[in-house]
Amino acid sequence: MKEIKPPRLAQKLFDWFCNDAAVEDLRGDMDELFYVNLKRMSVRKAKLRYWFHSLSLITSYAVKKRKKSTNKFSSTEYSMDMLKSYLLIASRSLAKHKFFTIINVLGLAIGMSVSLLFIAMITFVSTYDEFHENKDRIYRVISKTNLGDNQEFARTPQPLAEKLKSEYPGIEDVIRISNELSGEADYDGKQIPMEGFFVDSQFLNVFSFPLLKGNATTVLENPHSMVITESGAERMFGDADPIGKVIKMKEFGEFEITGVLKKLPKNSHMQFEILVPFQALEILGLSQGFVSSNKRWEDLNIYSYLLLPNSFSSDEPERIISFMNKIAKGVYKKDAEFRATFDLQPLPDIAPGPDLAYEIGPVWDIPSFIIFGVLTLLILLPACFNYTNISISRALKRSKEIGLRKVVGGQRNQIFIQFILETVIVTLTALGVSYLFFAISRNEFTSMIVASQFLDLTPTVTTIIYFIGFAILVGFVAGVVPALYFSKLNPVQALKSKSSSKASKGSFLRKSLIVGQFALSLGFIMAVGITAKQHIATLNYNFGFDQANILDVELQGVDPNIFRNEFSKLSTVQTVSMSSGIMGAFSGASTWIQKEESKDSVEVMQMFVDHNYLANLKLKLIAGNTFPEQLDNREHFVIVNEEFLKTFKIGNPVEALDKSIMVSGAGELKIIGVAKDFHFADLRMPIQPFFFRYDTKLFNYANLKVASNDMHAAIANMEAAWKTIGGEKKFEARFFDDEIEEAYSVFHSMIKICGFLGFLAITISCLGLLGMVVYATETRIKEIGVRKVMGASSSTIAILLSKDYLKLMLIATVIATPLTYLFFDVLLFGEQYYRIAIGAFEIIASILLMFVLGVGTILSQTIKAARANPVDTLRYE
Amino acid sequence: MIGYIGEFEELVLLTIAALDESAYGVSIKEDIEQRTGRSISIGALHSTITRLEEKGLLKSQMGEPTQERGGRRKRYFQLTNQGKAALRNIKALRDELWDLSKVNLAFSA
Repeated sequence: MKEIKPPRLAQKLFDWFCNDAAVEDLRGDMDELFYVNLKRMSVRKAKLRYWFHSLSLITSYAVKKRKKSTNKFSSTEYSMDMLKSYLLIASRSLAKHKFFTIINVLGLAIGMSVSLLFIAMITFVSTYDEFHENKDRIYRVISKTNLGDNQEFARTPQPLAEKLKSEYPGIEDVIRISNELSGEADYDGKQIPMEGFFVDSQFLNVFSFPLLKGNATTVLENPHSMVITESGAERMFGDADPIGKVIKMKEFGEFEITGVLKKLPKNSHMQFEILVPFQALEILGLSQGFVSSNKRWEDLNIYSYLLLPNSFSSDEPERIISFMNKIAKGVYKKDAEFRATFDLQPLPDIAPGPDLAYEIGPVWDIPSFIIFGVLTLLILLPACFNYTNISISRALKRSKEIGLRKVVGGQRNQIFIQFILETVIVTLTALGVSYLFFAISRNEFTSMIVASQFLDLTPTVTTIIYFIGFAILVGFVAGVVPALYFSKLNPVQALKSKSSSKASKGSFLRKSLIVGQFALSLGFIMAVGITAKQHIATLNYNFGFDQANILDVELQGVDPNIFRNEFSKLSTVQTVSMSSGIMGAFSGASTWIQKEESKDSVEVMQMFVDHNYLANLKLKLIAGNTFPEQLDNREHFVIVNEEFLKTFKIGNPVEALDKSIMVSGAGELKIIGVAKDFHFADLRMPIQPFFFRYDTKLFNYANLKVASNDMHAAIANMEAAWKTIGGEKKFEARFFDDEIEEAYSVFHSMIKICGFLGFLAITISCLGLLGMVVYATETRIKEIGVRKVMGASSSTIAILLSKDYLKLMLIATVIATPLTYLFFDVLLFGEQYYRIAIGAFEIIASILLMFVLGVGTILSQTIKAARANPVDTLRYE
Repeated sequence: MIGYIGEFEELVLLTIAALDESAYGVSIKEDIEQRTGRSISIGALHSTITRLEEKGLLKSQMGEPTQERGGRRKRYFQLTNQGKAALRNIKALRDELWDLSKVNLAFSA
């Protein structure tokens, strides 16, 4: 008959919980009660009772007390001496196995370097706007509209600010800001472009931008006063005292400097050089065409910041929001084309914060941080994993030490602490190396980020503390698995040196992680190859016009005719043409044209050029002529592209000549020429209807065809010529092909980033692989000796040893290739209309590169092992 | 002199005194349950016993291995002199109060 026994699981749980505490009598009581109960009740009930008893004991004071007293047999207190001993042992063992120590430190250092950049960036960005004394009382009003995808704007309509100021009693101050103040600032004949804000007069009392000179309350009282920053003043006046100087700005009038601000901190979401009272804008008014002076509810044209009183109640913001939305309901009709509601955003939430339309400055939107964080982890985790992997596979070497420790009374948690400590030493050393990488790559990294001028990665005390904390954390993450493994070792087995079978237990996990590492590395390498090809192809793309040797000069307000006269005199300039924008990197103007049959308006891109332009850029005309050189009505002519004819169904090019089209704002225009299709915009967009028009007033650039062997001298000549007509303004000229290259700089930075990450990833993978191979060959050294004695050749042994790793890399290739292909084909280049298909060449090249590196790593070790003389390896048997 | 003794603690002490030589976990539990008719958990019982040991009112020793418990030994409990004194004190206090009682506490049929 089967004997009925107490529930096993409950017993196990109890034994596990009590560990080695003296609870023999308690277990006995439980079991005895069970057998007593069996006679009284059903088996099920007795088992239930048993569970109940065991749980009641586990939570009881009796067990707690006994557990506490067991530990008294060996000290679990961490005395300084013990810690010192751990440090000593750790440093000895690290010094003894120099090779593995170097691999580990180097791998972790590389893995941590990106994280350091990330931490430094997060730390800096989190200090954004922290310097404002009133930061907890300042709120920004934002607008949620029905436009597009329910777009949210950082701007608000102007009447809202006025209503808040006059009708809501609980607000201490409302500050209106317009960022329309930008243009040439003129002082004493010196012209410098300046950017700044129109602000309400109490701006400097609300925000903590300290003044070097002037009084915060009064500097902006007079509508013709201006506050300038330290750096702005330096640019404008040099060392002279700026106070009292009068600056003239073309569209805005004259302003007298009344205050100088200390240099603005980089971690401010508002960046400006000059401040002018908002009143000035109101005086200038709508007549001058300033958007910000428009007082319609439909125009989101200013930024509104609220300062709440010193001790405002916590529901005050809620009340302000509902107040604003009550107004909004009255203002925007239910079915109106434009509707908006309003919300408040506390100052510290602006940056880092959501990416709203028309932000006033950098906001560091959170999704990009998450992407960056994921990339960081993708680099860091493989490095941690390498450490874990190498440590465990080398367990055999340490098992005697651990066995002995256990025999003389080492507790599990003590051994755990010892190994964690050892890992932390490694990660702290790695931090030192990693910091070097960080210091080197810091500036390069900053320059890659768009808003780099608002980012300062110079390490502060806080960042250094975070770095050290981070290194310790990495130590825990990388060290926890080996530490657990070692602390669990059975001392008997450990001393008999037979625990190697256990070490290979996690080999499936280990192998799959190696595969993951290589797949990741391959992905990055391929990314570089694919992007590079796309980049080169884009630059050499036939845009349909000539871009070589064309120099684009910004006119900066100089009369085109004067410019043409002066520059035609230069021997190096062959032809001069004028245009309103730059071809190929075109991001410009469009207009609307009505289709005849459907009355729909179609958007048509336009550019204003002169009579030389088409010839200068070698644009091909299929029919008709270019603009005439001298004719008063040439403003009424257009030259269209083929796509235009197709869209408007005008028929063949010859038929199109002399036809008229209605252009909004310009009236009836006559087609005098048809140009072959060309890429006026970048390759991300398909070719659209386009036409050229002629308007001298709208020319912004002169396009010079330059022929010279000495470009340097040619440009120096041009600069001299420019001095006579452009005055103080700087000569701004760039070669056409450079402009186009810049338009595609996104490829460039992607190559840089992927290249960098790929380099890190492949280095980490190879280091990990190296560690694994070295260990595997070390442990099989005797087997190799025997094989050689039996007649195996070096090459067969090398193959035997390398085979497994090659297989892993093959699997990685099979996984990574299609994923990378899909990622780029669908996600990234899906946006590019004229793209180059991903070819086999760059895929194969990437795979080859990975294999060369990986196989090189493997062979460097296996060949050495295969060549070893069996006499040396077998001598001690 | 001795810390306050709770009702359940007193019950456990007296039961151990009554069981004398054969007082161990299960027998104490069964005895109390039988006499008072209330069900007590083994965890609560052992917690109380541990506290009483801490206070010095009980001492314990391990017995011989027995078959019925899978070879596990029993822990037998005994009152210490302090324990006995504590029980006496309580009884004295109770008796005094009984004697002083102005209400007739005897059964009045």
